[in-house]
Amino acid sequence: MTVLVWVVSGLALICAVMVVASDKTIYSALWLVGNMVLLAVLFLLLNAQFLAAVQIIIYAGGIMVLFVFIIALLSPGSGTDVEEHKDRGWRFLVGLGTAVFITGAVFLLANNGTTFDKNSSTHTLRGEQLGRLADPSAANQQKFQFTPDAVNAHGNVQTVGETLFTRFLLPFEITALLLLVAAIGAVYMTRHHREDQPAVIR
Amino acid sequence: MLDTQQTFPWLLAVASGMFTIGALGVLIRRNPLVVFMCIELMLNAVNLAFVTYGHFLNSMDGQMFALMVVVVAAAEVVVGLALITQVFRSGRELDVDDLSEMSE
Repeated sequence: MTVLVWVVSGLALICAVMVVASDKTIYSALWLVGNMVLLAVLFLLLNAQFLAAVQIIIYAGGIMVLFVFIIALLSPGSGTDVEEHKDRGWRFLVGLGTAVFITGAVFLLANNGTTFDKNSSTHTLRGEQLGRLADPSAANQQKFQFTPDAVNAHGNVQTVGETLFTRFLLPFEITALLLLVAAIGAVYMTRHHREDQPAVIR
Repeated sequence: MLDTQQTFPWLLAVASGMFTIGALGVLIRRNPLVVFMCIELMLNAVNLAFVTYGHFLNSMDGQMFALMVVVVAAAEVVVGLALITQVFRSGRELDVDDLSEMSE
């Protein structure tokens, strides 16, 4: 299992690099599909089965189809669009250095005990201990009850649904409103302006 | 079961690496479609961090917020692609440097 995490996340990183590095837009889109499918595998390994299905259905199946559709519709130029510059190599090194620095900083913070208690025999995260200590109320303690075994015994989709419609009901409703506004906005922006017809009342 | 001590920092590093790659892509690419894909990449990286934290904290909140992020990403892509379509229809070249001004 742990080896699988290494392999899959490594492949996902390669896909992420290729999204940025591909010359053609359609290749970027296909690499992004690969990245999303690999992330779904990681979600499965992290005991988030419902989210893995959502990732494949909505991201790889919905959003990326929309992307490919728009790419086919607009057929933008296929040439490389990264500007040629005389000191491009130097700039590339600076960018690479920044990327490695930020990634390394986060890795060190995660590894050196800021969030992870190495001395604990049970390998609990420091955030969990702090989260438990900060608020001893029963409702707060319940937030950390979802061990993988408990979730699997109850059913992953069941647990997600119950949490979504109890503690997270308000954010859920707000996202529904957001989707409605986005759909109306997209329809408004993409409608045709015809000369021979009276303008739509704004 | 995943080994917490090995996989937790590694997954966080992968998430931060993916986020950095996406941010660099937004900065260096000039095709607005690729820029949007790089934004998707960044959202995906945050999703991975959310789920990783949620799993190792024995909490469901990470998965919940990852679901919200997926919905927000869908809404953002719909509006963004509608904008790009309109820009293309107005006969302009798809290049973020040329589109830095929204008016006209």
